[in-house]
Parts: sequence; structure tokens; C-alpha cells
Amino acid sequence: MARFALEGTHVLDFTWVGVGPITTKYLADNGADVIRIESAHHIDILRVAPPWKDGQPSSINSSQFFASYNTSKKGITLDLAKPEARALALRLLPWADVVAESFTPHVMHNLELDYPILSALKPDLVMLSTCLQGQTGPRAEFAGFGQLLSAISGFYSISGYANDELCPPYGAYTDYVAPRFAACAVLAALEYRRNTGKGQHIDLAQYEAGLQFMSPAIIDYFATGRVAGPGDNRSERYAPHGAYRCRDEDGNERWIAIAVADDAGWRVMLTVLGAAPDDRFASIQSRIERRDELDRFMDPLVRDHPADDLTVALQAAGVSAYPIQSCIDLHRDDNLRAFDFWHWLEHQEMGPSPYEGLQHRMSATPGELRSAAPVMGQHNEEILGGMLGLSRAEIERLQRDEIVF
Amino acid sequence: MGCELLDGLRVIDLTDDKGSLGGKILADLGADVIRVEPLTGGPTRNVAPFLDGSPGPCTSLFFLAYDAGKRSVTANLDSPDGRALLLDLIAKSDFVLESFPAGYLNSIDLGYETLAQRNPALIQVSISPFGEDGPGRGYRAADIVTWAAGGAMFLMGEPGRPPLEMSIPQARLHSGSEAAVAALIALQARRASGIGQRIVVDMQACVVWTLMNEQAMPIMHGDYLRREGAYLGSKVLRRKLVFKCRDGFVVMMIAGGTTGAGSTTRMVQWMEERGFAADWMKSTNWLGWTPAMFMALNQRDLDENADMEDRLQRFFLTMDKREIFSEGVRRRILLAPVATVSDIAHDEQLDSRRFFVDVPAPANGRSLRMPGAFAKFSRTPIGAPRPAPRIGEHNDEVYCGLLGLSAEKVESLRAQGIV
Repeated sequence: MARFALEGTHVLDFTWVGVGPITTKYLADNGADVIRIESAHHIDILRVAPPWKDGQPSSINSSQFFASYNTSKKGITLDLAKPEARALALRLLPWADVVAESFTPHVMHNLELDYPILSALKPDLVMLSTCLQGQTGPRAEFAGFGQLLSAISGFYSISGYANDELCPPYGAYTDYVAPRFAACAVLAALEYRRNTGKGQHIDLAQYEAGLQFMSPAIIDYFATGRVAGPGDNRSERYAPHGAYRCRDEDGNERWIAIAVADDAGWRVMLTVLGAAPDDRFASIQSRIERRDELDRFMDPLVRDHPADDLTVALQAAGVSAYPIQSCIDLHRDDNLRAFDFWHWLEHQEMGPSPYEGLQHRMSATPGELRSAAPVMGQHNEEILGGMLGLSRAEIERLQRDEIVF
Repeated sequence: MGCELLDGLRVIDLTDDKGSLGGKILADLGADVIRVEPLTGGPTRNVAPFLDGSPGPCTSLFFLAYDAGKRSVTANLDSPDGRALLLDLIAKSDFVLESFPAGYLNSIDLGYETLAQRNPALIQVSISPFGEDGPGRGYRAADIVTWAAGGAMFLMGEPGRPPLEMSIPQARLHSGSEAAVAALIALQARRASGIGQRIVVDMQACVVWTLMNEQAMPIMHGDYLRREGAYLGSKVLRRKLVFKCRDGFVVMMIAGGTTGAGSTTRMVQWMEERGFAADWMKSTNWLGWTPAMFMALNQRDLDENADMEDRLQRFFLTMDKREIFSEGVRRRILLAPVATVSDIAHDEQLDSRRFFVDVPAPANGRSLRMPGAFAKFSRTPIGAPRPAPRIGEHNDEVYCGLLGLSAEKVESLRAQGIV
């Protein structure tokens, strides 16, 4: 059995920023050969974004943000605005099973590297094009970040304490939804290609992938006109259901999330907290209806407990609870450690730095962070020389002319 | 006509809400996904909220969304005959998806070893809130609890008020879709070896993955973010992200450098046309306004940032979402409306791509409109899914058609309370 699931799969990767690189990382960490094509003339903005080694932006090779999403890949530099660079990229096409790109639609078209052109040269190519809102439609060319798309996709509208007190999810949220769908799309297209010999083009709008996570509210709206709003941690399934402040630790706030599904769980929770039963909250219905009162009842009961200890006690009694972990807490989290989630990789310029590991573990062919992300152009010689057969002198000439750049 | 990508592959879906989306994705891609449910119906049918607010076996909005595309059979796994039926189904399948509490399948003699003995090519994906090796392997986990455990909740909410989750719980959707990714990776390994394997999806890890690599900040920058309400959290410069407008909210990313300078310059131009721009905004070199610069901010930078936020807020209050967005798109500015599901339902972009699909409701055939394909495939398009199934809707077709049982046999199993 091969060591990795996707050994022998070849990916030519024109993507940048979040969704594209995270998608191809799935393939690379599972053994596919992924060659990322970058250019200093059109730098991947994550290369200049924090976190940086030592907290300082010393070079385009010192961003952990970039490094995290480009493990296990090789990197070459080609300024695709120049015809000679495009010709070199096209010489890699016969090798590739998959081409991936994540620009707005006009970019690959103008570079003469779009699907019609590439598939004419390689009919069984699987090509992924992913941009914010899709290859077609009035906003196809809309360029922006996942924060904007998360607002457009409705996630901001369901986040907060009340309709006029929105608190969005952290970061470019849809950038972490879309790659799961994009990876499924590419893998399924590869399976089909292996069965039929046929390739195809995948148009993955990150908007449409993101909306899969909004489906229940969308069905509800079309059927009944109900517009979902921010929830203030309310639930129709659980009560209590929310965040409760615990004892501070090291001068920092600590909170616990608790969700109680039924009356037996409620009684057990009261026992753990050392509280007497209260008639007002005896049934799930009464707890859901008196949610604010319930939270005021809960707050002092929880307030003096350390979050970790209370979690152990509640879970031992079968109550769903966990500390609300900060990024520091995550690195100390026993369950993430036991899952072997954190990894330190040796990066050519950054030295050792912390990486998130895989989100799943396979028993026979587990994926792995096979190497740290490439520094800019790290594999120029290996790919252009070794794979394409260019001489060292020729590569130097191309570098001087800013074609390999 | 369904999608042909995974034609001929079969999935046995035993998951609750932590995994249901995984089976939905595989069904979208053309796999035959069979839910095997208790006689009273599977757990996703009980996930509130419900259509029209009325609980019932086929009205959970979560169920309608994420069990569409699947078939349903019933089998009482408390009985040996029910378990034998499940094993027979698994023998004819490629994938099993499950999210039972740790140890449950072993306790009813349906652990991975048993299944793999019967079907060595089987790929089993187990979704676990906290993995199988740590102190939390037996922990209960409502969605808000894994959202908290994975660090996403800590970063959402106002300072001084409770951390938040979204009103549509999200952690289970990350773990469900991750299960589909993992299943398809293992499928490629099986092509070479012919042998299946077992996969554990860790929900907590799936949530950590949504944090935009914020995990590295405490180690590399020596400090970490707290929740920042409607601001763009950053250790270096806290910038307002969400602004009020006449009929709701908009998001504006005030940015510089190569990615944001053009947008911000054009925004300033627009504000200038309407009399909202300050002189300093017009003379600022936005190209030099980069994260690196934020490392050494002085009081003037902070004052200017506050002035910009104040002016933007007053400017946006003169318009509604629609006007702001259409003008923002035209001028190529990094802004967007905070869309509600109502805005999404009427969005011309989705309309032009014919995104939404109509699917009959399982209970009464009423037409339900829902999100369509997550991707457009040029050769093998994803069509509208079949409706989410009624409990045991496909007992006859699966038990007779697939397993070859006689109608009398199925009737007798029914009489014994096994299906």
C-alpha cells in the first residue's frame, strides 16, 4: 500500500491567499505533488501578513499565515504576465492531473491560461476555478476578502446579541468553509476521471459553497418568510445553552460553554454545582421560556469554578460542557494534544514554527505535513532544471529577465 | 438524473447532526446514500428549529437541508436480526459514516474490525467531538461546546459580554463536510490498494481550522486576540469592520498596501464627491499603509483611523445597503452588505446562476426552495437532490432490491419490529 493516499497525483497550483491554497493543501498533505506558481510581481498577500517570525515582518518568507496553508508543496516563481513565463507554465501542463486557480475570472482568461485553452492542450484535465462569487453572473469579477463574503453570505446577520448588536464571526470565515467543498469537488472529479478518462472544469463560487452552511435558515425563509437573526446563544433545543463566566486565571477571563438537553441533565448539573432545585426551571420548556432569568440564576453558580475543573465534573455527570478556549489555551488543550494536532516544522528562513495539523486521522494512509511551505522560488532549480531540463545558465538568464521572478 | 461523479458508490449514513452534511455532499456528488435509522427515526429529525414551528419526523429544518438526497431504511440495532441487516448493507457499501458516542458500535458488535472483516474495502469515517485518545473521548458535545473548544467562540462577541456562537450552529457542519473530504481521500488510497480504512474526524480540530491561523499569534507575537465586537481584531490596529447604514449594516475593510490602497483611494474619492472626506485622507499614501507600518503607530495614526471610522459611519448612514453595494462594486471598493437570508433569497448574482433548487417536502409534497449545487461541474453537473426521506421510505426498495430479500421476509421483519 502506498504511504499516502494521493501519491502520484500531480497538481499545478496557480491559487493564492486562502481558499485555493487551503484546498490544494489537502491534496499536498496527502501525498499529491503540488507545484505552486508565484510571482514577486503579484505576491500572495499572505506572504506579507502576520503572524510573523519574532513578531516582525522581516521578509516575504517570514509569514506563518502563508506557511500554514502551503505545507507539503513545492514553489516556483514565474511572472505570468510575460509570454515566456506562460510558455514555461504550459510545459508543466502535460505533467498535471489538476490545475487549480483562484483569481477573478478575467485573470486566467487574459493570461490565456483558462480552461478552454488548457483543456484543448490536455483534454482530460481537471481544473478548479474558485473565486468569491463564481465564474459567471453580474458580480463574477467582485474581488475581496472572506470577511466581505461572510457578510454577503449571511453569516454576519446571524451573529450577535440582537439585530442592532451584530458581532461577526472571527476572520475570513467563508475561507474556511469553501475549501472543504472545493476539496470534495476536485477529489470526486479525479475519481470520475480515473473511471472514465474524462476531465472537466469546476466553477466553485465560495459564496455558493458558504451558503451550504446557511441552508436551514434559507429553507425556512423561502417557506415561511422568517428571517434568521443573531441568536444571543439562544437555542430551541437546549437550556441552559450559552457562555458562563468562570473564575479568572492568571488575570485572564475564563468562560465555559454549557448546553443541557433535558430535565435529567438539568438536575445532574444542579447537583454538580451544589445548587438546590428551583421550580421555575424544572422543565426544558420553562427553561427555554425563561432564558434570561435562567442565565441570571446560572451566573453565580458557575462564577467561582475554574473552567477546566468544572468541565471535568460536568462531563463526568454527562453534561455537555467545555472551556471557551483562547488561542493560548488551544496549545495546552489535552484533547488536541492527544489527537497530535500541533506540529512544529523547520522552515528554511523561519526555523521552527507552530502549525495546525490535519483535522482527521486515517488509519492506513494518514496525511502528514510533509514539509514546511516553500520560500519564494525555493524549487525553481528542481522544477525548471530537473523537470523541464533547463540549464543553470538558462535559469539564471530567466531570473535576470524577471521571467523566473 | 443525478450527478455521475460518484456513480456506483454506496454510503451507509449512521450519523447524527455532527455528520449529516458529509452524507449530503456525497449524495450531491452521485453516491447512493442510505440512512439507516431506528424505527422511530434518526436523531437529525429531532433537531430544532422546525418548519412552521411544528415538530414532526419530517419538519426539522436541519434534517430537510442535510438529509436531502438520501434514502432511508429502518433497522432496530438492538436486535441481532437488525444488526445482521445492517451488516448485509455494509457488505454492499463503500463507506460508513457514523458519529455515535465512543465505544457504542463496539458494544453492539459492529465495531470497525467486524465491519472490515465482512467488507475489507470499507471506508469508515467516525466523527468524534474530541478525538478518541484524550480525556474528552467520551465527552458530550452540543454544537456550542465544540465551537467553544475549538477557539472560535472566544473570538466572537463584545468585550465584557458573553462570547457567542452563530444562531445556526456551525461546528457540526465543519465536521460533516470534513468527513466527506476524508472519505474521498481514502477512496483514492483504496484505488491503489483495494483496501479500506478507518478515519477519525476531530470536530474540535475542525473548529480550530476556522481561526485564520490566529493560533500562532501567542507563540510568535507573544499575545493573543480577545473578542472585538464589530471591529476587525488585530494586535496592531483595531479597525471598525461593521458600520450602520440606513436599512441595516455594511462591512468596510479599510486597508492599504498593494491589496487595499486602490480600494481605499476610490472610497476616499467617493466620500470626497459627497463632502465626507477629510484633507488628510486625500493626501495619505495608502500604498504605504501596511501591516508592517502598524507595528509603529503614533497618536496621529490612531486619531486619523478614528476620524476615518467616524466619517465612514456618517457617510454610510446616508444610504441603504443596496445603493452602497452597487456603488461599491462599480467603484471596486472592499465593502459588502451584511446580507440577511431575505437579501440572499433575492440576490441577482445567485439568480443569474440559477443557484436555488426546488425540492418537494417529504411529508406533504409542498415545494421547498433550498441552496443548490456547491460547485458547477462542466461535465457532470449536480442536480437538485431527492427530498429528505420519510422514516423507512425505502425499506422495500433497499431490502428487496439491494439485499434480495423476499417481500414476505421484509413483512416478517416488520411484524417483529426489526424494520
